[in-house]
Amino acid sequence: MQGTIIENLSGKKLSLLVILLIIAQIVCFLIGGLIAPTPASSQNILGTQCKDTSINGSDENKWFYSRGNGSCTSVDDTHFSSDTHQQPYQIVYTFQMPVPRNNLDLDYSRWQQNLIGVLQVDIRYNSEVEIARRTLITLDARLAYRSKDPQDVWKPYASSTVERILDCSIDMPREQYNYNCKAMPLFELGSLYHDYYLLNIRLPSNTGKNQGLGRIVDLWLTAINQNGGFTKVWVSLKTVYFPIVLGVLTWYWKRVYMLSRSPALLEYMLLTLGSALTFLNLPLEYLTLAYDMPFMLLLGDIRQGIFYATLLSFWLVFAGEHLMLSFIILAGISAGIYLLFLSYMIWKVFKNISAKRAVLPSMSSARRLHYEGVIYRFKFLMIATLLCASLTVVGFILGQVAEGQWKWDEDLELEMTSAFFTGVYGMWNIYIIALLCLYAPSHKQWPIEPSENSISEEIEFSPLPTDPNEMLSLTAFARKTAVE
Amino acid sequence: MTIRGDGLLVILRSLLIVVVVATASTVPGTWINLGLRHFPQLEAAQSMETFDASASEICTSLRGLSQGQGKLCQLSVDHMSSVTKGAKYGIAECQHQFRDRRWNCSTVHDENVFGPILRIASRETAFVHAITAAGVVYSISRSCRDGQLSSCGCSRSSRPRDLNRDWIWGGCGDNLEYGYKFTQSFVDVREREGSFKKGSREQGRSLMNLHNNEAGRRAVIKRSKVTCKCHGVSGSCSLITCWQQLTSFREIGDFLLDKYDGATEVKVNRRGRLSMRDPRFSVPTANDLVYLDDSPNYCLPNDTLGSLGTQGRLCNRTSSGMDGCNLLCCGRGYNTQKSTIRERCECKFHWCCYVECKTCVKNIDIHTCK
Repeated sequence: MQGTIIENLSGKKLSLLVILLIIAQIVCFLIGGLIAPTPASSQNILGTQCKDTSINGSDENKWFYSRGNGSCTSVDDTHFSSDTHQQPYQIVYTFQMPVPRNNLDLDYSRWQQNLIGVLQVDIRYNSEVEIARRTLITLDARLAYRSKDPQDVWKPYASSTVERILDCSIDMPREQYNYNCKAMPLFELGSLYHDYYLLNIRLPSNTGKNQGLGRIVDLWLTAINQNGGFTKVWVSLKTVYFPIVLGVLTWYWKRVYMLSRSPALLEYMLLTLGSALTFLNLPLEYLTLAYDMPFMLLLGDIRQGIFYATLLSFWLVFAGEHLMLSFIILAGISAGIYLLFLSYMIWKVFKNISAKRAVLPSMSSARRLHYEGVIYRFKFLMIATLLCASLTVVGFILGQVAEGQWKWDEDLELEMTSAFFTGVYGMWNIYIIALLCLYAPSHKQWPIEPSENSISEEIEFSPLPTDPNEMLSLTAFARKTAVE
Repeated sequence: MTIRGDGLLVILRSLLIVVVVATASTVPGTWINLGLRHFPQLEAAQSMETFDASASEICTSLRGLSQGQGKLCQLSVDHMSSVTKGAKYGIAECQHQFRDRRWNCSTVHDENVFGPILRIASRETAFVHAITAAGVVYSISRSCRDGQLSSCGCSRSSRPRDLNRDWIWGGCGDNLEYGYKFTQSFVDVREREGSFKKGSREQGRSLMNLHNNEAGRRAVIKRSKVTCKCHGVSGSCSLITCWQQLTSFREIGDFLLDKYDGATEVKVNRRGRLSMRDPRFSVPTANDLVYLDDSPNYCLPNDTLGSLGTQGRLCNRTSSGMDGCNLLCCGRGYNTQKSTIRERCECKFHWCCYVECKTCVKNIDIHTCK
């Protein structure tokens, strides 16, 4: 009778494999914790108020910027007074990204992958002009880009008139205090292809727009980008794992293909899971260094989404297989409930196996040892599954705990967020490699030794007519006792 | 000159103040002077490279800087216009917060800015040190975020080897942290210049100033708000980025005024550290203000102290607080005058740039201290 590798591999080889995988896992965590920087960083940019001197601000190709040749004349802070009669379109809030540091004109690198813009409005409280809790704000936003070439001019990238709900409250309504206004998401660039970006925002007032806004003093833009160092580490991980997983997957499928029966559901699931991981591993990020690929954010979401869906359904099938019940319908439940459910199922499986173990003492010693070994190994894999699942969920939850980027602790070396990202990512790869290796059909034959009560055992453990004889022998074992 | 620390009698304290004035006058004025006057040369300095030849010329023309501050000015001359702005914020906020008190943060026309009053190690001095340090942190951070001050630091290490690579690899640190660090070196350097005898009064004064400067700097960070944005897979919160949002300077001023009201009296001990004068109170934290001497009452004009007195100040007849006529006029009584004023009222705001108001005429009584 043929089983899978997890049943037939010698203890020595198995422990060697497990140790190797554990080392790889630790390395993944350490890479994230010690080498990679935080996944993303942000720049808080204060909008410069430029004065548009054109007739009605309709010139689409005129760009306002605060630094460099031809920078605009900025409006004085005190534009808000009763005697200046400036028109709303004459004030252009300009944001030039990124802001310089250490006297160096920084530019974006394509390694930084994506850019997210979040807008915040500072509105000063004035008892004469109070504002509503939720106000509609209309923004005429135009985005331009420029390359590092000093001769280059700003070229339009995107423009739109957007409406956002400004959610503002104030705890202590005192003069000169600011309202607490929630940040508004403004734009998301899926690829950071150009060197510099420029955002021009006007707050138009035609047809009664923006009238309930109160006294705006400042507009702040927070530009969030992925860190180049994080991308580099991430892409290296992908580059390493991609060929390995692809290789193991091919080997696994070859093994399954060689079987005389058609593949079981679990084997199909494992193949799908491997393929989803390979798709996730595919280091497409290299292409963004050469081409403008604005769909990368969406593609990343899709890849991640497919992987999550496959992984969760696989775990259900995997746990379900050993209980001989199909739980695929339940695959869509949320992560927390999912984890509880999974833990419960694994606990049931353990109980189920323990109950079946009661049969073992009546068997011959060799067979009993064999089954005990199989049960032991299987338990180990189940615990690994549970660990992997909990780490995934914990990683997911931990991501929501704000990690202070403003921490003042100078000597904190370990990057927890990055460590978790690389660690969990490495864990998925290692776990699936382990599954593909261990659940691949084995060539080895388990010797059936003759014994006194071998006849009864033969009957007991002979495959049921409906069962393919290459199924997991543990499944057969469980099923057999269930029939009895 | 030797000054014995704790052993002095209270009667001698006023004499001591004169002594301190004499020692401190070797460095005339205070850097806060930058906020009081207009320095047109600083506008050009904004885009100036460090170690520029004309930088030293500009820095020597800025009256009120100490020796160390002068050196820092030459190293980072572009920061000076932000420092000026910060000092302005500080003075304006001080005058707003103290508008109703006997000492109203009045300035004089020399480099001492507030006159000899800052020689007294009083609560008021503590507040002035804190609010001006806060002003500089605030203004430097704002200028960095504005992009107008291009030399703001980037990573946590002070001078990165290859800035562009550092920025691509791990991004830049927060500007607020940079503002804090620059202010720390610029404002505090003055207190570290002299060498004082351990446990001496001068050393105590220097420790007090350092403590209050730190309290001011921390007030800006303490009052700033943290805003976060989730940007994970499909907008999920698997990744979150947070940043510090500066609050309005008024809020920082109000916070520090609270600290002023709850300031702790300390003394310098023989080991050269500050200790509580009254051990029953709780030990002040780095966010609290400390002072060494009680404040004078500021009721009468006194040239030695630099007090202008409260004669002629407007007071509120019905108030029982500091701005009430009873307290503000120190019991001397007040004159009442009938007056008609015109003021803006029923204002309507039009985005972006003007307010439409009516003019209201009011008859009010104006009370001034005798």
